[in-house]
Amino acid sequence: MTTNLTRPPGQRVPATAPALEVRGLVKHYPGVKALDGVDLVVRRNEVLGLAGENGAGKSTLLKALVGLVRPDAGEIWVRGEKVRLGSIADAADHGIGMVFQEQSLVPNLTAAENIVLGSEGPGVRHGIYRWNTMRRLAQEQLDKIGSHIDPLARTDSLSFADRQMVEIAKVLRIEERTSHPPVIILDEPTSVLESKEIETLFTQVRRLREFASVVFVSHRLDEVLDVCDRVAVLRGGRSVGEVPAADAAPAELHRMMIGSTGSDDHYHGAAAERPDEPRPRLVVRGLSGRTFRDVDLDVHAGEIVGIVGVHGSGREDVCRALFGAEPTTAGEVVLDGARLDLSGTRAACAAGIGYVPAERKTEGMVGPMSVADNMTLTKQGSRCTGPVVRPRKQAKLVDRWIERLSIRTPDRGTAIQRLSGGNQQKVVLARWLVAGDVRLLLLDHPTRGLDVGARSEVYRLLRELAGQGVAMVLLADSLEEAIGMSDRIVVMSDGRATTEVAAPADGKPTPLDLVKEMV
Amino acid sequence: MTSPADADLEVVHARRPRPRRGVSLRDAGPPVALVVVFGIFAALSPGFRTLSNVQNVLDAAAVLTVVTCGITFVLMMGSIDLSAPGIMGASAIAVALLVANNRNDNDYGLLGVVLAVLLGAGLGCLSGLALVTLKVPSFMTTLGISAVGLGVATLMFAGVQPNVSDRMLAGLAVERFLGLAHLTWIAFACVLVGWLVQRYSRLGRYAFAIGGAEEVLALSGVRVAPYKVAVFTMAGAFYGLAGVMVTSQLGAGLVQAGRGYDFSAIAAAVVGGTLLIGGRGGILHSAVGVLLVTVLTNGLVQVGVSPYWQGGVQGLIVVAAVAAAVIPQRRRNQVTK
Amino acid sequence: MSTPAVTEPAVAGPPVTGRAVAGRRLTSFMPVIALVVLLAALTVADPGFLTLNSLTAAARTSAPLVVLAAGATLVVLCGGIDLSIAALCSLATVFFALWLPDLGGLTTVAVVAATAAIGAAQGVAHVLLRIPSFIVTLGGLSIFSAIALVISDAGPIRVVDRDVTHWLTLYVGGVVPMAFVVALLVVVVVSLVLRSTPLESWIRATGYSESAARLAGAPVDVVKVAAFTVSGACAGLAAIMLVSRNFSGSPTMADNLLLPAVAAIVVGGTAITGGHGSLWRSLAGALVVTLLRVGLPIVGVPSAYEQILYGAIIVAAVALTLDRSKVQIIK
Repeated sequence: MTTNLTRPPGQRVPATAPALEVRGLVKHYPGVKALDGVDLVVRRNEVLGLAGENGAGKSTLLKALVGLVRPDAGEIWVRGEKVRLGSIADAADHGIGMVFQEQSLVPNLTAAENIVLGSEGPGVRHGIYRWNTMRRLAQEQLDKIGSHIDPLARTDSLSFADRQMVEIAKVLRIEERTSHPPVIILDEPTSVLESKEIETLFTQVRRLREFASVVFVSHRLDEVLDVCDRVAVLRGGRSVGEVPAADAAPAELHRMMIGSTGSDDHYHGAAAERPDEPRPRLVVRGLSGRTFRDVDLDVHAGEIVGIVGVHGSGREDVCRALFGAEPTTAGEVVLDGARLDLSGTRAACAAGIGYVPAERKTEGMVGPMSVADNMTLTKQGSRCTGPVVRPRKQAKLVDRWIERLSIRTPDRGTAIQRLSGGNQQKVVLARWLVAGDVRLLLLDHPTRGLDVGARSEVYRLLRELAGQGVAMVLLADSLEEAIGMSDRIVVMSDGRATTEVAAPADGKPTPLDLVKEMV
Repeated sequence: MTSPADADLEVVHARRPRPRRGVSLRDAGPPVALVVVFGIFAALSPGFRTLSNVQNVLDAAAVLTVVTCGITFVLMMGSIDLSAPGIMGASAIAVALLVANNRNDNDYGLLGVVLAVLLGAGLGCLSGLALVTLKVPSFMTTLGISAVGLGVATLMFAGVQPNVSDRMLAGLAVERFLGLAHLTWIAFACVLVGWLVQRYSRLGRYAFAIGGAEEVLALSGVRVAPYKVAVFTMAGAFYGLAGVMVTSQLGAGLVQAGRGYDFSAIAAAVVGGTLLIGGRGGILHSAVGVLLVTVLTNGLVQVGVSPYWQGGVQGLIVVAAVAAAVIPQRRRNQVTK
Repeated sequence: MSTPAVTEPAVAGPPVTGRAVAGRRLTSFMPVIALVVLLAALTVADPGFLTLNSLTAAARTSAPLVVLAAGATLVVLCGGIDLSIAALCSLATVFFALWLPDLGGLTTVAVVAATAAIGAAQGVAHVLLRIPSFIVTLGGLSIFSAIALVISDAGPIRVVDRDVTHWLTLYVGGVVPMAFVVALLVVVVVSLVLRSTPLESWIRATGYSESAARLAGAPVDVVKVAAFTVSGACAGLAAIMLVSRNFSGSPTMADNLLLPAVAAIVVGGTAITGGHGSLWRSLAGALVVTLLRVGLPIVGVPSAYEQILYGAIIVAAVALTLDRSKVQIIK
């Protein structure tokens, strides 16, 4: 839905034109519409916040703005002039620069080199470095933001906040290329900073506003509201609105981000009859690791427990730790009364734990191998007699599960990478079911990248398994999914399990209830 | 290979480092080890602690130093180079046939040396091109180029050993200046050149940066492919020079002139603190590594260990040094190829 | 988190690019085609080549190479590489020559067991210390050469008692060399064991995607160590074949077999990135390499070109079979 705002460029007075304008930007990836007609206006000397959930299209939009992604349709206007951005250098020529989320500095070079990297100018003559010139060039940039970093310090010896300053100084080099005030994009700049450092960064951002436009992207809504003048919200690859930061509350923004479609009935199956068990199937006490501390968790047989939390809450690592794929430093995990060995994935598999990784294509399945091989990769015993593989036994078993889960595949010998995402995911799930001894399923974003139909099939399957008494830990793709699927929801924040919210079929919490706990 | 996500998390929880400019404590390890090893052998063997033996050690390190100068830049990029034996063989025979010799009437003198070095550079360039155009990993391309170099050498060898009668070339190994052979001074010069390249040229700095974060260079609009080819070419030139030096030492061109130097050089670089994952170390580190390896082999011979153990000791050193560098960064579910 | 309505076709096309598929198809026949073309070319060049005698000789020459390549193929299938096979093979010839007077008929078993143990040690070092396999085996190469030089005093050791290796010099049915039959048996037995047990799917999964294999609970570490063990054992067996031909053990006897063995593996179409390939391919690859070796002089090409050819073949074959989707940055 491209809202085409075609105005003849001649009628626009460049002096009042916005610094940057995006009209009806569309970008398709195979199977995904990442941008679906985004409109965005960045005014001069303002800090524009950009908010949106994972998958809302933020990163694709940003990449399009710096020439890393070529949009399929739509226009980008810079100061009243329509532009085509084919590369980062193109974008820089138009005064657009970005500080990337993963820090884009070469760690083993000096700060000065990083600042001038790729556009050394007089810093390098005939391939020979002129260190003094280089340092002067870098110092000029650092002076712009009033930073006192030693330009000749090695970048990996700087604090994260200082590195961020170096990145901003680097991006400001685009001023050399254009006579106009630049547009600086900051993608999740606070994700690696501590609170004191964040304050310093905000001071810098406000200082930048004096001579530049800033696009500020963060998943922490309080930050966005704190530092920005205006916040634009993306959802599902579209612009869904914008608010002045002065009179908005995080909860309101969040509602815009997640939409008002609280009632996705298709996975609101009736809660499974929980077998009357006094003891939980899974008991986790004081589990600590690299990114999480002191996590307690109980999961009963037949129960689905959702874990929700923002990016960086540590919930993914807890999930992996329970499967022995992430080291733990303390804590105890008991499954059906037996202490679990967390030293490796083999032990977890043997104990009847299954894990569905979020990265299906790289971690969940072995792409070039057949459906049958993928399905029986774990529970080899189910297709063997002794150590010997029985092809007929395997064929029967695999065919039965292909039928039971209605996996659409030409045959069991087809390479799994040829199936659609939903069918791939069903094969990954079937891997844990073939032997019939799975007791606990750890589901890390089991519906990521699946279409609506495939999702509801996965939901039905999970419900059915819960009905058969399988305990599940679910890291859902969205809050609605977590609410709809879970019987109970644990909220994690900063590596700790902070709250627990009951979510029975007849008393589901709303997304907003959860957001309050998460932020 | 580790996933970038993991690496990020690691970074978040890393200890906050102090800003620093140049040398760190970690860099002090190899020189200290050199002094310690030297001290131990000096205490154990009276033959070791003589001035003439120190001269011996330095002279013996000359060729390895030059090879290591070349390989260091490749290792700094995070690539690997196994082509030294082939390139050295080719240039060793080539120079023997180009200067005054018993096989033909050539007498190009210094020009012959230059041509042999250029041959090495050309072969190195081929490895680099195969790496960036065919996208074949460097350990495979350089293994292939090494075979090509040996083949070229065998062709030129043609069954009759070319003996060098050129006095300039032969003199390099024999004549001394301040007690050290001219070859040793050439090696010093190579270290100096290598250090200047590493410190003051874009090529050297980018080689370092490619090892640190290749993807960042691309994001900054730098095309890395030409620099990779250039680094392999430069490494080839160093191997070519090393081949010439071996011919000078032996007084004849041999196909096997570079045998074992690839591994010795990797050992020296790794011991000196140049990581195989790239982005760390440098020429001076490698020079210390070369001395460490040479002192170790010389010292072991002096205390009565068979010289045949030389390669074995280097093998152990490499595995131990790589393991020591890798172990602190081990992770669950890490992919090691 | 309202993810955009994701529409994926029911059966998506293969994510591999067309060129890669074509490459795969080509490479799956490449070794056989190369073999046939080579045979034809050699026959044209020298009509006397296609005789029983020269074919028998070629088969006999190829046997150690087939065994070496077959063993190392397992490591490559797991996604690693074994550069130590030739040096280990040389060391094994020395072991054999040294142990024969004491152990007699048991020497063969002892040598294969010893090399298998050495291979296993390399595998353990690779898995436990997380050192890339090519570094471990490069280190191994250096160490094994040194040991061989030291215990043999850097010279060949004559084997006087030839009865123990006599059986390898026999001919089955008077035509097929026993050594070649043994090499074939190795390929057949290892292939069969792989196919009839879960090992094959574990090895392929490890090679294609180590992290997926690990997260599916496949015994990745055990499989890798096993591959190195078999590779070591094969080096030992190849050594015995070499001794049976040369009647001596020498610390450098097999050193020039490393490149041909690597060439055989990649010419066969086994991807250096792991997962894709088989022992049969390496068998065909080894035959191609052997034919090149014996054939070049026949067509009048100096044997010096052999090395150049190996180099070019290795680079070209790797370029054709490489799974580029797996490595974004080629180091």
